Amino acid sequence: MKELVFPGDKVADTPQRIPGCYVEDGQTFASNVALRSDDHIVQLKGYYVPKTGDDIIGIVEEERFSGYNLALNSPYGSSLSARDTRDELKLGDAVYCKILAVNEVKEAVLIEPQKLPTGSMLAIDSVKVPRVIGRNGSMLDTLSKFTGSHITIGKNGIVHVEGGNTSLALKAVEKICRESHTSGLTERITQMLENESRANGGQGEQNG
Amino acid sequence: MAAKGQREDGRGPLDYRAISVNKGFAPNAEGSCLASIGKSKVLAGIKFDVMAPFADRPTEGVVMVNAEFSPMAHPEFRAGPPDAQSIELARVVDRGLRSAKIVDTENMLLMEGKVQGIFIDLYVLDHDGNLIDTAALAAMGALQDSKVPKFEDGKIVRGSNSGNLKLNDAVVCTSFEKIGKNIMVDATDAEEIASSGRLSLSTANGDLICSSQKSGAAGFSKDEYMQMIDWSFEKRKELLSKLG
Amino acid sequence: MAGKVNKMVEKADLFKNGKRIDGRTPMDLRPLKITAGVLDRAQGSCLVEWGRNKVIAAVYGPHEVLPKHLADPTKAIINARYVMAPFSGQEEHGRSGPNRRSIEISKVAKHVFENAVLVEQFPKTMIDVHMEVLQSDGGTRVAGITAGAVALADAGIPLRDMPVGLSAGKIGETLVLDLDKYEDNLGDSDMPFVILPRTGEILLSQMDGMLSREDISQAFDMIFEGAKKVRDKQIEALKTSYERMAAQVTTQGETNQ
Repeated sequence: MKELVFPGDKVADTPQRIPGCYVEDGQTFASNVALRSDDHIVQLKGYYVPKTGDDIIGIVEEERFSGYNLALNSPYGSSLSARDTRDELKLGDAVYCKILAVNEVKEAVLIEPQKLPTGSMLAIDSVKVPRVIGRNGSMLDTLSKFTGSHITIGKNGIVHVEGGNTSLALKAVEKICRESHTSGLTERITQMLENESRANGGQGEQNG
Repeated sequence: MAAKGQREDGRGPLDYRAISVNKGFAPNAEGSCLASIGKSKVLAGIKFDVMAPFADRPTEGVVMVNAEFSPMAHPEFRAGPPDAQSIELARVVDRGLRSAKIVDTENMLLMEGKVQGIFIDLYVLDHDGNLIDTAALAAMGALQDSKVPKFEDGKIVRGSNSGNLKLNDAVVCTSFEKIGKNIMVDATDAEEIASSGRLSLSTANGDLICSSQKSGAAGFSKDEYMQMIDWSFEKRKELLSKLG
Repeated sequence: MAGKVNKMVEKADLFKNGKRIDGRTPMDLRPLKITAGVLDRAQGSCLVEWGRNKVIAAVYGPHEVLPKHLADPTKAIINARYVMAPFSGQEEHGRSGPNRRSIEISKVAKHVFENAVLVEQFPKTMIDVHMEVLQSDGGTRVAGITAGAVALADAGIPLRDMPVGLSAGKIGETLVLDLDKYEDNLGDSDMPFVILPRTGEILLSQMDGMLSREDISQAFDMIFEGAKKVRDKQIEALKTSYERMAAQVTTQGETNQ
């Protein structure tokens, strides 16, 4: 049974850490519009706040003497030290990184950078990332299979697509985000990918 | 400290600091009053003039309140156009006077299209908290000090005096600050910084509220609100006695 | 709703035989319609049509604070802006942009949102809440804040609860809810309030007129009762916006075939 909860609605009589909820006087209340099912609560919209250990995609937005500042699709920025970077990075480059630490004003320190090849990118709401990946990566597998694209997703909601039918891949990701809170999504996405890739003369078409 | 209900200067939560009211401080003005509460000082000056009435009240006189936060009053005050804080202060004082109909604006028509205007300027000279109560006191004192000039043929005769300005009753304002769960009156600058919210209540006619202004992020419960109303009636007597 | 009310209204007309000038009882609100997600670009938005008022709110952020020195390392700061369009009143063309009244209202609205938004989740950022009165007919500040609350929820900004704005007032000896322009101008008191329904906290209180302790106590009880109706409309707006998104699925599915 699914129902919507709204800011101020009580969701538990005990204090619990649930995304989109907060604790006051030992009880848990919704802080966001969210879809509540028997065992969990999924908020419909949110903002990415850097967390230690997250794998993210950052976009180089500033080059400094000692390293780079990367935009994270977040109110907060991040920095990557030049010492940790083998590749020379340019403004606009997409880099897959891990968050080593987050300082007191929520700026992230990044490590283990992997420069991503030139491709197409899309910034989505980070609360939708689990839907795009799917259970055990199933949605992502479906997307790759039909588009022939190599798709990388950061926890912060930046989606990087390279090779294959990139425009179809991005279109499918947008559709997943738009319809993430509805049932039968996997079937509809599969259907759409089947129809469109057939219309475009099969998978693997190069137009990126 | 204040969060535990104790105050740095040893006052109880409902104690005002020393209050003084000095009417006639700037005698070139038709009315003036320097009011101080603790170290906070506000000078109110009043000038009369002839002006066009407001379109929706063509026969009524006009009372205007303006506040200047002088840069001499606090290291963080800057000269320049009025900011939200000074506009709020002026409008809170204005609403109190207006609601209680302290000035009889219906007797200020000079001729068609011309009415008496009363300009009340509030100069904040020294800021150690509770500027709203201090400014309201200064404004009331200045009104009580005002001599109405003569008006002839729709013109003001500067320096003339046709008698004291007639006033209905007196308005005073008491501001409450919430620090932690405690509520106190007459906060100092330091207490205001610690405060999460304020309620200013203006009183008139003994036991009527004529304006309220909630400011700051904190919320108040209905019980707290009603309690503050009772306290404001109590404090009204003290403030009126200082106005003389 | 009725068109322009041009007839001259006298104070004596405001309350007769238990009914107000537009036929309402003291507790009745004007027709209220709230729509969430009315703007494309803003992160969250809301249109409130309340009687003849039309107020639109839009939310941007959290984003970097500009100017930078205003940033607070412990919480997000709220930039609330209430303005009236120059054509919004029945009178002459107003002046564009903020005036003393709107600057004061923006300030108290900011305090409301500072309380309701879980600002400590977004230190060093700024959240903008823009409220524009497109047509005014009394009670625009409470309509604006009610709209701002829905726009914040629509934007996905975490809130303790959605603030609800509603005004009470006094006509002669009668206390009423939700004053229109005539009741505001000719009545004896106007008391705009904003409350948080869950905790009953009072986040905004302004008033003019002369009121006794009992008047104010009764006004609060009326406000808490009336606010439930406004809260229901806020929820309905967010629910409808969600259902609208869900409904788009089928139509898009069809066009994709």
